[in-house]
Amino acid sequence: MSVYDTLAQLISSSFGVPVEEVRPDVTFSELEFDSLALVELGLAAQQEFGVAITDEELSSGDTVSRAVDIIESKVMAQR
Amino acid sequence: MTRQTFDAAITGIGLATPAGLGVAASWQTLVEGAATAATPDPALAGIPVAFSCRVPGFDGDALLGRRKAWRLPRLSQLAMVAATEAIADSGLDPTRWDGARVGVVIGSGIGGVGPWEEQHRKLLDEGPTLVSPLLIPMLAVNMTAGYIAIEIGAKGPNFVTATACASGTTAIGIARSLLRSGECDVVITGGAESCLVPSIVSGFSQMGALAGGDREPASASRPFDVARDGFVPAEGSAVLVLERLADAKARGARCYASVRGYGASADAHHATAPDPQGVGAELAVRAALGDAGIDPDAVDHVNAHGTSTPLNDVTEAKMIRRVFGERPAVTSAKGVTGHALGAAGGMEAAFTALTVHHSLVPPTANLDSQDPEVEVDVVAKVAREMRVEVAVSNSFGFGGQNASLVLTAC
Repeated sequence: MSVYDTLAQLISSSFGVPVEEVRPDVTFSELEFDSLALVELGLAAQQEFGVAITDEELSSGDTVSRAVDIIESKVMAQR
Repeated sequence: MTRQTFDAAITGIGLATPAGLGVAASWQTLVEGAATAATPDPALAGIPVAFSCRVPGFDGDALLGRRKAWRLPRLSQLAMVAATEAIADSGLDPTRWDGARVGVVIGSGIGGVGPWEEQHRKLLDEGPTLVSPLLIPMLAVNMTAGYIAIEIGAKGPNFVTATACASGTTAIGIARSLLRSGECDVVITGGAESCLVPSIVSGFSQMGALAGGDREPASASRPFDVARDGFVPAEGSAVLVLERLADAKARGARCYASVRGYGASADAHHATAPDPQGVGAELAVRAALGDAGIDPDAVDHVNAHGTSTPLNDVTEAKMIRRVFGERPAVTSAKGVTGHALGAAGGMEAAFTALTVHHSLVPPTANLDSQDPEVEVDVVAKVAREMRVEVAVSNSFGFGGQNASLVLTAC
């Protein structure tokens, strides 16, 4: 599964966002994520992908695809 | 000095209790006297007392939606479900009310200790940077009232009362004061608790407060019975909608019962043992009667604290006999529900209101052989049909914190 698909599934299963709402271009604020939910997502992503997303790197105005980019670049850097 | 009496009408009730999800299911189980303790509770595996009374079939994700539920500890989920039922039942519309006039006062003894246990394990196993940022709002005991306010736009006074096992009763008494003083027009009140986790249940077990772990779970909670040996831990929530009786009547609302009296006191005796003479408990009951302007001999029914512990039940029964004589029909819901700690007073106030409303006193479950030291009329086995004009609901907490309510027919 791609990073996007895995992240989308995580957003849906752990945070209860309906699958159809999760799109690459949707922002986290549109998904009703506040700053605490973003930190929680960062922790979940860390467990899932083995890389951390900090609250400096991702804000609620960012899109899901921006989160995917951060994760992918960090995963690449680890290789 | 005589003071005018004050009636706070109970116009809505919501329940998520071990006796059932919703008022109808809870009341039916209670009236049938069907005990709810079950084993094993998987969360308590390995603990000497591994049974509990949980709210049957409660799934916060399904009832509230995962999007809302993932942020809430279980006690707040229970309260949110109960609050939703209570407000709908009252006929009030949160989209139309003046939120500044709506208060929320919920009793809770312990708080969100489930998330605390999980995150503490995470801290030890994986380090501080993996601890959830939601830990504090999940753990902090005040949050349940805050979450309800967010949901319903209640911008009036908002807090949680913590008087251990009297918390729910204290909350309702204080909620009534907010109506009496004019600070609020509506108060959402009651209790919520869910702390059926290993650390907390072990703590109660080590105190010797719980029923023996070798007992048959369904008959382990047996208030006023000669063979009782401790309480069965439970979870749950009850939420009541309180309004001034005149306001309720003016809008044509149904009134289950009125809260006419509230009394509170302290034993000033011991951290966890009740005053053996029940002096503090009696002070609370007499204060509630005084507040209501009602003579003890007018009381038809007492919903007892009745925990099923050896100490409480005899001390309380002696106090009831001293204050009221033989007249009132006494019951304890805890034979059915177990002891939901900070939620218990809210649940039992709701049950007392339903008793007044339905003219039906639920039986004390598992009362096979009444302790000879309990010299009061305890309703056993079968519910008793009787007109209840005046009822008293008692709650006594660790710390010697006592609270009592007087409920009357509307």
